[in-house]
Amino acid sequence: MSAVLPFLVAVPLLAAAVGVVLPGRVVRPLSVVVPLLTAAAGVWLLVEHRTGDPVVVQQVGGFVPGVAIPMVSDTLAAVMITVTGFTSAVVLAFAWLSGEARLRFLPSLALMLVAGVNGALLTGDLFNLFVFIEVMLLPSYALIAMTGTWRRLGIGRLFVVVNLVTSTILLIGVGLVYGVAGSVNMAVLAGADHDDPRYRLAVATVLLALSVKAGLVPFHSWLPRAYPATSAPVMALFSALHTKVAIYALFRVVSVVLGGFSDWVWLALALVLVTMLVGGYGSLGERVVRRNLSWQMVAGVGYILLGLAIGTRLGLASGLFYMLHHILVMGSLLLGAAAIEHVYRSGEFTRLSGLMRREPFLAIVMALAMLSLVGFPPSSGFFAKVGVVRAAAGLDDPQRAIVMGVVIVASVGSLLSMVRLWRHTFWGPPLEEMPSAGKEDHPCASEVEPGTRAPQRFVVPAAVLLAASLVLFVAPGLVFSITEQAADGLLDLSAYVEAVTAP
Amino acid sequence: MTVLPLTIAVLVAGGVYLLLQPGLVRIVFGITLLSHAANLILLAAGVSAWRGEPLHEGPGVADPLPMAFVLTAIVITLAVTVLMLALARLGGNDDTYVMPDTEPRPEDDHERGTGETEERPA
Repeated sequence: MSAVLPFLVAVPLLAAAVGVVLPGRVVRPLSVVVPLLTAAAGVWLLVEHRTGDPVVVQQVGGFVPGVAIPMVSDTLAAVMITVTGFTSAVVLAFAWLSGEARLRFLPSLALMLVAGVNGALLTGDLFNLFVFIEVMLLPSYALIAMTGTWRRLGIGRLFVVVNLVTSTILLIGVGLVYGVAGSVNMAVLAGADHDDPRYRLAVATVLLALSVKAGLVPFHSWLPRAYPATSAPVMALFSALHTKVAIYALFRVVSVVLGGFSDWVWLALALVLVTMLVGGYGSLGERVVRRNLSWQMVAGVGYILLGLAIGTRLGLASGLFYMLHHILVMGSLLLGAAAIEHVYRSGEFTRLSGLMRREPFLAIVMALAMLSLVGFPPSSGFFAKVGVVRAAAGLDDPQRAIVMGVVIVASVGSLLSMVRLWRHTFWGPPLEEMPSAGKEDHPCASEVEPGTRAPQRFVVPAAVLLAASLVLFVAPGLVFSITEQAADGLLDLSAYVEAVTAP
Repeated sequence: MTVLPLTIAVLVAGGVYLLLQPGLVRIVFGITLLSHAANLILLAAGVSAWRGEPLHEGPGVADPLPMAFVLTAIVITLAVTVLMLALARLGGNDDTYVMPDTEPRPEDDHERGTGETEERPA
């Protein structure tokens, strides 16, 4: 059973390596199948954690515990592997169907990214967390640089510099943790002296680095600038994988290594509340579809981490539920935007209009996904937000009122942003000239041809992710019971520590 | 014992100064200095404080873990430095204040509307 864990990293990595030499028509399906396989392995691990062992450990290399590099799977890691694997498979299927994956090496780089993500989710060791985050970032640098032309390279510079400086801070933090506690194994650190100020400072350095990578305000400003500059499928991939892995690591480090925020809950709450507000209202200044959505990604980080800041069982469980919801819905919205951009060659509000009548199927998918993002039924966003607010109701009095008030005010901001997006792109007079007309690189095709429609194959991936979000609405009890089990694993560490340190 | 912290301090100060420069090549040098500082911090974190060398027991042997950390970190920094130098070489200039996305160029394949232009601060 535990022998499967290294393969979750090895198989995508190997597929990436093989994909470099194989012809494209083999690699493109491969890049869909391999993430699906890891998702299937994630489901298998989930079933195992529910019925049998709550924690599965593989000490890679056969060294004694404490020296060996542990790979640990618990409910939290398994559910993340399932959802990220599924979302990557759908996004890569879109890249395949839309022709974007015809770019040489794109499928291979995406598989390498998946390998890094799985490693970061499964590792039980802070230093390996750093290594796997680097494994995840290296293909991303190339993906950002390759999916565009010269203009994306400038953004690539920003992205590389921000992430590299952050990684250096993470490395310094890991070094400080080792200096204070003598180990970087999370299970050992769970038993370290959490009240030692030197230890708390060292862990705070790690948390700082992870917050930058997660896009928490005030470290968010790189995210809405960098992500919209890549192509839409790559942005969907990054949105599902990058920030979410950083958020997962924050959950893990705060719960296991730090043992909760204790005296600093107020600071965590303040940061997540500001994140929600800034993200929710940040979209209002943007006039491009994906820039608009990138601010909502920032807002999502706030809602997810609100659960962590509250820190109760219900809080952690609903934060994790929100994360699953956010991965699926954001993926759906970005793939919808990708379909628009592939057909109409523009994502600007001023150029798009009246898409509702031209693209009824896409309009339905996007509308449902937007409603879900804001928190209306009938999709996962409703229960995600209900969960977060229920968790906030368990706080003490002044905080409770502030948190619930800010959640409502920030949701109104998201609603306004989505209304704006809808009004400028789907409503309005029908398109008369192609949105790309008059641009230097598309001098021809100024009339909209009557037959210009997004083909079904462009819209179906977005619909698949939306369908998964609808499943979360229909069966919230099942998903909540899984995230509650994951939250239990974060609160009661005895099973985790025992499994990792047992000889 | 004050040499190591002072070296780290100088490296971090120099690294941060270079990071704040507009040119990407200087930023690359800044990141290199910062990662040197990180490596020294890792070494300072416990050369012999926590455990000895695993194969040979005896006085004066060093902890292998920080060295493994440093080795891994050096390799990663090397790879990223090469990539960043490539990025600095591409695209006309290496200025990070003026994003190349301010002016669409004829060779742009997908104009996807990244929106407003930005002016270089005077």
